[in-house]
Amino acid sequence: MIPLLNLSNSVLFVYYLISNLFYFVLLITAFVSAARHRQRLSSLRLETLDDSPFTPPISILVPAHDEASNITENVTALLSLDYPALQIIVINDGSEDETLEVLKSEFALRATSVLYVPQIASAPVRALYTSALDDRLLVLDKAAGGTKADAANAGLNAATSPYVAVIDADSVLQKDALVRIGAEIFSAAVEVIAVGGIVRVLNGSMVSGGQIREIRLPKRPIEVLQVIEYLRAFLIGREAWSALNMLPIISGAFGVFSRERMMRVGGFRTNAIGEDIDLVVRMHRSLLQEHKRYRMPFVPEPTCWTQVPQTLRALGHQRARWQKGLLDVLWGSRDMLFRPRYGRFGCVMLPYLWVFELAAPVVEIVGLSSIILAAVLGVLSKTFLIQFAVYGYAFAMLISIGAVVQEEITVRRYHRWTDVGRLLLYCLAEHFPYRQINMWWRLRGMWQYLRGNVAWEKSERSAFATTTK
Amino acid sequence: MAFVSSGLEQFAPARVVFGAIVVSMSGIALLLVFIIVRRWMRTRYFVRRDAIAAYVRQHWEALVSGKLLPTNFRTDGLAREVLEAILLDRIEVAKRDELPLLVDCLRRSGVLDVRIHEARTAAGWRQRSALVILGRTRAPEAVPALSDGLESADVETRVAAVRGLGKIADPAAALPMLERFTDGRMEVPWGVLKNALLSCSARQPEMLTRYLRTAQGTRRDLLARVLSEVVDSASCDELLILVSDPSAEIRASAARGLGRVTAEIALSPLAQLASDKEWFVRLRAVVALGSFIEHGALPVLVRVLGDRNRLVRQRAAWALIRSPHLVQDVLREVVAAGDDYGLQAVVAELDRCGLYRSVLEQLKHLAADSDQLTGSLDRARASLLPPGHPEGEPAAERTTKEAWVA
Repeated sequence: MIPLLNLSNSVLFVYYLISNLFYFVLLITAFVSAARHRQRLSSLRLETLDDSPFTPPISILVPAHDEASNITENVTALLSLDYPALQIIVINDGSEDETLEVLKSEFALRATSVLYVPQIASAPVRALYTSALDDRLLVLDKAAGGTKADAANAGLNAATSPYVAVIDADSVLQKDALVRIGAEIFSAAVEVIAVGGIVRVLNGSMVSGGQIREIRLPKRPIEVLQVIEYLRAFLIGREAWSALNMLPIISGAFGVFSRERMMRVGGFRTNAIGEDIDLVVRMHRSLLQEHKRYRMPFVPEPTCWTQVPQTLRALGHQRARWQKGLLDVLWGSRDMLFRPRYGRFGCVMLPYLWVFELAAPVVEIVGLSSIILAAVLGVLSKTFLIQFAVYGYAFAMLISIGAVVQEEITVRRYHRWTDVGRLLLYCLAEHFPYRQINMWWRLRGMWQYLRGNVAWEKSERSAFATTTK
Repeated sequence: MAFVSSGLEQFAPARVVFGAIVVSMSGIALLLVFIIVRRWMRTRYFVRRDAIAAYVRQHWEALVSGKLLPTNFRTDGLAREVLEAILLDRIEVAKRDELPLLVDCLRRSGVLDVRIHEARTAAGWRQRSALVILGRTRAPEAVPALSDGLESADVETRVAAVRGLGKIADPAAALPMLERFTDGRMEVPWGVLKNALLSCSARQPEMLTRYLRTAQGTRRDLLARVLSEVVDSASCDELLILVSDPSAEIRASAARGLGRVTAEIALSPLAQLASDKEWFVRLRAVVALGSFIEHGALPVLVRVLGDRNRLVRQRAAWALIRSPHLVQDVLREVVAAGDDYGLQAVVAELDRCGLYRSVLEQLKHLAADSDQLTGSLDRARASLLPPGHPEGEPAAERTTKEAWVA
């Protein structure tokens, strides 16, 4: 028993040191990459895209399932985006609420017989509608496919632009988000296959006319903790991986993809649990197999504001689903591991995801239990236990505060001292007990996946907070 | 296991952990101090910047006219930056007679010299930033420094130079780009180059034609594409030659460009391009013909309604119903042509635009042959709807089940 505990503690110790080393490298890479990006922005003039006939058109796909409460705000915001060549396709995925009726009345929809060729399979499309108010809007009414991926595939069939953006119907895109993404595509020396923008927490902010009017930190602790998580995931993780051209995921809430490449890989996999990470990994695979030179950058300025779960229960379901999605994708792409053909993606990125993302809940929970047990049994020095706990806590805080600093340097959306103060305070609380609960949710997700529970769980939605300002 | 334990003991984990705690705590302290100091410095910076901006705006007329010499702006970096930002913003919206005064002010304040110097001697982002700013000045003396930037080994610097030259928006700024591009000596993302050439050649489109003759392959396609966006009736001779070019991309650009010239010149070559073997050339020709529907393009467009490509047919229908007062004539021509596909395309387009009912009403009141016309339209529309579908609600089920063929 005791030798086993010793071994477990040693493994945890080494695992923790290596993972922290990785995170530290990512933190430094993200700082450097963000600084370079800011310098690059100084020589970039966005307005050349606004009036250029060469700006690549973008189709925005908005899968909507029971989104009646938000859909008007969302579509209004999309129609008012600063982008000269835009098509907006809302896919009503068999909603049981008033989503289609709201769209019909708000945007004066009329049935139409425009060209729709189902190149990628999806649940049957019942009708297509165009808007009498704005001819850039197309609405697809289809039978429920059960997944966002199925709805997005139907939208992909109807899209006519070389690039498509997929966004969630409970999200709000910032007005200049697409221009900033378009600039990245337009000025790239190497073909850009996909671009990810930042997804930020909408909860607590005020929305009016489909636009954010006032950015505020949410009030509930559970939401503020997610703000820090999002900042860390995007401004540290994705920024760094993007700099190394190994971006493993472009968020399902907001990403722009080459339509041609999407069609080539068969669109979204409808039975994927995490359709976003699945698509990106399949795109990497297809491009690396073809020996293409390509880029999949993350750009920190284009912002998509999204609602995050407001209750522990909903958050637990979401995190379990994300973990299931990760396991699903990693298992499906296990043949890419350590294959030179897949370059650094197969030799660095995928092993990193296996060891430090997928296995993290198992290692952390088993490791923590064994450390506590060893301390109780007197096998482990209590001083060392305390030192190790303090180190783990301090290092995790360092990374979280690093994310807040990145936010300060790059986009700086939280202007008030009180907001920044609260964020920093929550960095303290994030690593106990929230982190451990999160690990538990993720472990549960893996267990559910292994037991074959891969059903799509409906998430709760609430209307945006609005203001008359 | 013993090996692992002894290895770890030698590694002295307690000492490592203690060191890591110290490093982490120091890191946290540094980051917190950074946030506080940065916020404090930004506040001070904006206070000072606002004060300078207020001074510049108060003395704007005197500064621009040269009555007040901006000598202290030469030595104070922030003051120069503020003056430069205000001047560049004004230059972007300046009228022709105002521009020389503003550029003179840039010269007197030393901003221009500093930027030319940076563009030539600095490296990295400072050079790139200087190149773009130089372009925004629109000063002719900036062109040589910008041209030098095109020779940089770094692609980002070349992109900045191209952006800068594009901002100058003068034919003289296009020449260095065109020479290097057609010779294959310059590699930059083509989107940026197209934008720059577009703004520089807008006043003198014929300058592109000389390079179009010597360029090869896709470089030639790019120049033709830019030409199609700037060409006018006075400079369209080359465009007429391109109508018979072996490259489909070039013919498509020619079709696009012909939409910008007069009907007398464009109609005949566009009619030729509307029968091209490539569908996208025909599509571009149809879109261009849409501009000349009142000048004789009607018969060609009615003919194109029978095109073998659905997108071309749809676009022809779109072009045909754009002029409400011609809709009757259009429908009469289409019905007379006896082409079911063509009639369906027009009906579908009327439906898509929500005009079907109103056009039907219009025909009933105005046209002598209204019964024949409305009957044909209704039959065409019925053929678009699946059996048993309620009238007025064209369903898309048919599109998914039967997969309309493009």
